[in-house]
Amino acid sequence: MGNLGLAYIAAGIGLLGAALAAGLGIGRIGASAVEGIARQPEAVNDIRGTAILLSAFIEGVAILAEIFALVFFFIAQP
Amino acid sequence: MPVSLFGGGRIWLIIAAVMTVFLLALPAAEHGSDAGDGNPDAVGHSADGYYFDLMVGHRKIELPRLFLARGTDGRFRFDAFGSTHAAVESGRYTLADAEGHAMGEAELHTLAEEHKQVYYPVIPADGGAVVIDFSISRQILFLFISALVLLIIAFRLAGRYKQGFGASQAPRGAWQNMLEVMVLFIRDEVAKPAIGPKYKKYVPYLTTAFFFILLGNLLGLVPWGVTATSNIMVTATLAFFTFLITQFSGSKDYWKHIFWPPNVPVGIKFILIPIEIIGIFTKPVALAFRLFGNMISGHIAIVSLLGLIFIFSAKIGPVVGGLFVLFSVPLTIFIYLLKILVSFIQAYIFTMLSSVFIGMALEEHHHDEHAHNAPDGAAPAAH
Repeated sequence: MGNLGLAYIAAGIGLLGAALAAGLGIGRIGASAVEGIARQPEAVNDIRGTAILLSAFIEGVAILAEIFALVFFFIAQP
Repeated sequence: MPVSLFGGGRIWLIIAAVMTVFLLALPAAEHGSDAGDGNPDAVGHSADGYYFDLMVGHRKIELPRLFLARGTDGRFRFDAFGSTHAAVESGRYTLADAEGHAMGEAELHTLAEEHKQVYYPVIPADGGAVVIDFSISRQILFLFISALVLLIIAFRLAGRYKQGFGASQAPRGAWQNMLEVMVLFIRDEVAKPAIGPKYKKYVPYLTTAFFFILLGNLLGLVPWGVTATSNIMVTATLAFFTFLITQFSGSKDYWKHIFWPPNVPVGIKFILIPIEIIGIFTKPVALAFRLFGNMISGHIAIVSLLGLIFIFSAKIGPVVGGLFVLFSVPLTIFIYLLKILVSFIQAYIFTMLSSVFIGMALEEHHHDEHAHNAPDGAAPAAH
């Protein structure tokens, strides 16, 4: 197994962790947002905006991991 | 009935039609994606290039190449060619192989025969170097197209308001109504709550950024379209504008919070200051990466899913690959619909985060009023 194989494995592991953590994080935001809306339906607009904003922050970290995974592909030499 | 499109067995007709098309395309695509094609993988497909692939197995449409090059004598020169092929034919430029060495005549001839010259980096033939590559790549072309479309839409819309539609009379027509909803959304739901009372100055930038990103994202979803926003330089430039606007509109309190955070012990200040300074730059970087990553990941997902068909038909057999169409195509359609949603959401998030950052810089704190009743070392909880 050369550098290319190692780079692919590294990218896969990195994406695994990022997707897992981002999924958990955004899932918790979604759950809390739905709970909040159920409790206070009149605050739906504020809650929606905040939930999207917070998801964007978490997603940003996941996207960073994705870009690093892409970089592994680009710099890996067979 | 809302499901009439897919009801009554018509869904199977659609799937059968799609399958037939894919099975017909299989031999051609297998031929085209063999090793040594230079650009057969998912990442390469989503990346930038100096050509358009209209159909598998047909000639590529090459895009103009513009170079600012520096010769061995140290003089700069600017060269413009209609295509990569023309640049090589002129004799002033040649192609570099994987090690960066100029290719021989025979190699160039073979690549020209196979129309694969566009995959290789271009270097000056006389031993100089390309300083800046101004080439109109396909992403740059679509950047121009989305800018042009945005200009046409914006000027026409502004003309409508000058005529009085929307200002003194009700807005007229589907386009004006649709766009007014979005402009009002940016102004009232994004800029106003996030920036505060001084929001008016920033609405033009935020609206432009929103529509430009939206057009760039959506143009990547039309057939043969290229996503201009899946280029890191495009998103970085947009984020750089947000960065500049944020820094230049920063209030005194904003800079004070960065270079001398109030209401914390002196020891903590020296930990906080570097973090705050890094924070200035991570915000636009995250903004650029978020848009870039979102736009490129959809393309990679689509090509990977469709690529499964060809991987399985090459490794196991065309029958298994053909059956995989049943899995890949519906999932691709799902991802495609998701990408339409993501196009809107990412344009919204970019605008939203930009206005939040601008709002954070504009905010004026009033620490002096309640600093004395807050315990020493604790930040005031409420404003």
